[in-house]
Amino acid sequence: MLLEVRGLGAGYLGEKVVSDIDFEVSPGEAVAIVGSNGAGKSTLLRAIAGLLKPMDGRVRLEGRDLTRRPAHRVAKAGIAYVPAERHLFPAMTVKTNLALGAYPRRPDRSALELVFGLFPRLEERQRQRAGTLSGGEQQMLAVGRALMSRPKVLMLDEPTTGLAPKLARAAFTALEGLKATGLTLLIAEQQVPLALSVADRGYVLENGRIRLQGSPEELTANPEVRRAYLGVV
Amino acid sequence: MKAVILDGIVLGLGFGLLGVGLTLVYGLGGVLNLAYGEIAIFGAIVVSQAMDRGAPTLVAAAIGMLAAAGLSVLLDLTLMRPVYRQTGEERTLLGLLLTLGVAFVIVGLLNWKYPTGALYIFVGGDPISIAGVPMAAGSVWASVIALGVAGVLLLFFGLTTFGRGVRSVIQDETGARLVGISPSLVRTVIFALSGGLAGLVAVTRSMSAPLTVTAGFDLTTFALIVAVVGGLGSVAGAFLAGVLLGIVDNVSAHYIGEYITAIVLLAAAAGTILIRPRGLLGR
Amino acid sequence: MSEAPHTRPRRARVLLTLARALLPIAVAAAILVVLPPLWFEDSPYTTGLAVEALVFGCYAVGFNLIFGSTNQLFLCVGALAGVGGYATAILSDKASLPLAVGVAIGTVSAAIVGGVLSWIAVRRSLNVIFTGIVTLVFSLAFTNFIIGQRDLTGADTGYVLQGAATDLADDRIGGYYLFVALLVGLLIVFRVLQLSHVGWAFKALRDDEVAAELAGVDVARYRIYAAVVGSAMIGLTGGLFAYSLGFISPVTYGFAQVDVQVLIIVAFGGLGTLLGPVVGAAAFGFLDRALTDSGQLREAYYGAFVIAIFLFLRRGVIPFVLGLFDRLAALRRRSQRMEGATPGRAER
Repeated sequence: MLLEVRGLGAGYLGEKVVSDIDFEVSPGEAVAIVGSNGAGKSTLLRAIAGLLKPMDGRVRLEGRDLTRRPAHRVAKAGIAYVPAERHLFPAMTVKTNLALGAYPRRPDRSALELVFGLFPRLEERQRQRAGTLSGGEQQMLAVGRALMSRPKVLMLDEPTTGLAPKLARAAFTALEGLKATGLTLLIAEQQVPLALSVADRGYVLENGRIRLQGSPEELTANPEVRRAYLGVV
Repeated sequence: MKAVILDGIVLGLGFGLLGVGLTLVYGLGGVLNLAYGEIAIFGAIVVSQAMDRGAPTLVAAAIGMLAAAGLSVLLDLTLMRPVYRQTGEERTLLGLLLTLGVAFVIVGLLNWKYPTGALYIFVGGDPISIAGVPMAAGSVWASVIALGVAGVLLLFFGLTTFGRGVRSVIQDETGARLVGISPSLVRTVIFALSGGLAGLVAVTRSMSAPLTVTAGFDLTTFALIVAVVGGLGSVAGAFLAGVLLGIVDNVSAHYIGEYITAIVLLAAAAGTILIRPRGLLGR
Repeated sequence: MSEAPHTRPRRARVLLTLARALLPIAVAAAILVVLPPLWFEDSPYTTGLAVEALVFGCYAVGFNLIFGSTNQLFLCVGALAGVGGYATAILSDKASLPLAVGVAIGTVSAAIVGGVLSWIAVRRSLNVIFTGIVTLVFSLAFTNFIIGQRDLTGADTGYVLQGAATDLADDRIGGYYLFVALLVGLLIVFRVLQLSHVGWAFKALRDDEVAAELAGVDVARYRIYAAVVGSAMIGLTGGLFAYSLGFISPVTYGFAQVDVQVLIIVAFGGLGTLLGPVVGAAAFGFLDRALTDSGQLREAYYGAFVIAIFLFLRRGVIPFVLGLFDRLAALRRRSQRMEGATPGRAER
């Protein structure tokens, strides 16, 4: 078990948005957290990443307790988080953004080659300022930057935000590629079919609590899921 | 005319040095350190006291800079914590008010203990000729130092990993956290650096004319103007703005008059802010 | 009247609302009026300090209107007051105009200057910090201008007003009551604005500028309006202060002497509140008096006090006190709920 979350509760200004979250991720697994807007997916990921202090529960990485650690410590411990807002460094070039991903170490060649191999577009635009990239390119850069630290777990919050359907599918194809290299993935996504296409297991989050869990086949076959998220009556 | 401009550049490099410390602290955390000038004066008094007790000039200067850096760090670790817990405009206003209070405390204590305190580092020697213009040795040395420091800073922020880390915090604090950078550690280090720079400014200024205990407010105001015109958060911008304002200052003082010069300078600063609020090299 | 409240004539209702709205001011005024015989012991020094506190209170009301209501950090209170002060001084003496005219022209000039500054800030969409810096630059330029115009203003050595009446001088009780009247007048103007549609617009734009704009509030116009009125208040105070002091110099209206204090006073009392400026000015008046004998360490104590205040009373005294009342009320409500059994509550 690589990442373990037990009884996690978190929220803002005293109001709990997610509660009693229990799940785990094994090495090499891809786990999807699906739910509609407001279900609490972002809050959950931010609490794990350390951008938000959890109110209850525990987060453990390889047995090490990371609950309540500030975000930079969580990042150093090996959880790389790619938020929906991306938070790139707009005035810096693509290359520098990537280089910073490896902080505090100098960027290593093979990591850079991996990222450029995965996202050839980034190599083309490596001297371009991050602020001038298109939405899809920024998303690639955000993921690329996260990969530069050779993380143990890669967490993505709604990677398809602002992407046209074709680009969204391409994004998930890239994620499949990453998974194939053995990287552990935790993906929060509204677009259920896409998320389940890459995942080994999924959790359905509703009103801040885990409602259902199971394999992609089990979830897709579930009538509630079909009605609520797949639009099938 | 050439002499006037060169003199202005010399003056301006000092201005730039003055603005750098302030601009960095603001760029990193949105805090305008109104105690900046007083920290510089504190450094100056330490240098002066060390020299009185027989320390050689260079050693005394180093001690002064370290003292100023230390005071800055103390400030960051104590009073700035509640400020950083706020966000946006609340943070700016609280930072302003608290550093204002600190400025009063420092100048009050210094005035009380050393009412006639002043620092004057006499740099002897004949006037040095730069591009055919004779300039006072003290001023030349001051600019050499300023230029040197400018170069080191630019290299540091442009090329080193930590320097890049600092720039990243300025551009996107959350992004910096996500790549493993601790904004509060960066801020403390930069506060120390800005304190050291304040001490250095005091030393270089005192090479041209005595620097007295009451000069703190003017230093802070000037640093603020240079920082804003250059673009808050930009090191290169502060130096560029400093040099330009220095030239304007000197040309105006030479051809017009002292008080009108002050107004011209202020108008130039205001004009720059109005035409280009993000500053010469700001984002 | 034996009619039920809702049938009382409309005018009476309006007057009643107005009276209730002005009550805090009336209370403050009463305290101020009664203060001298109780406190001052006929000391010109204390009276002088009190007048200074009142003057700063008046400045603070104007600044509160500009910054507290519309978020424009005008770090040029001293300069605006100086416009009023020097205009009054120069016009009454050099142009031999009656004092009232001098003061009026000073007030209007200050209002115009404030309006122009606000217009510039609005046109260039300057945020709080930049507005502060531009107005600071103006303050410094103004001081330098005064010093530079030696013949007109007497520069550093200052300017003596020939026409100043001694019984309204700042160390006499006449001066004290003059400024009490001014302060009360300014507070009434502030309050009336607060309760009118103008005040509503201010509140909206302070809360969320974009939302206010979308709701039809012409943010730009209200900002300039606040700046003009606030600057007029400051200019008027500056002019009257010149008259009462009898002697002014650049230091009377300098940034370090005026703006710093006003900012602290307003922040201490509570930004945007009605009586915040009064509370703040009173507090710092007392502080000044307490620190009189501290000699050189005055500034240090003052700074320590400022730090302590803003560490603990972040939003100011009045919001803090109101917050206490709120919490007390909530506590009382909760205990009432717990002890009082609602009729019909089933027993387990």
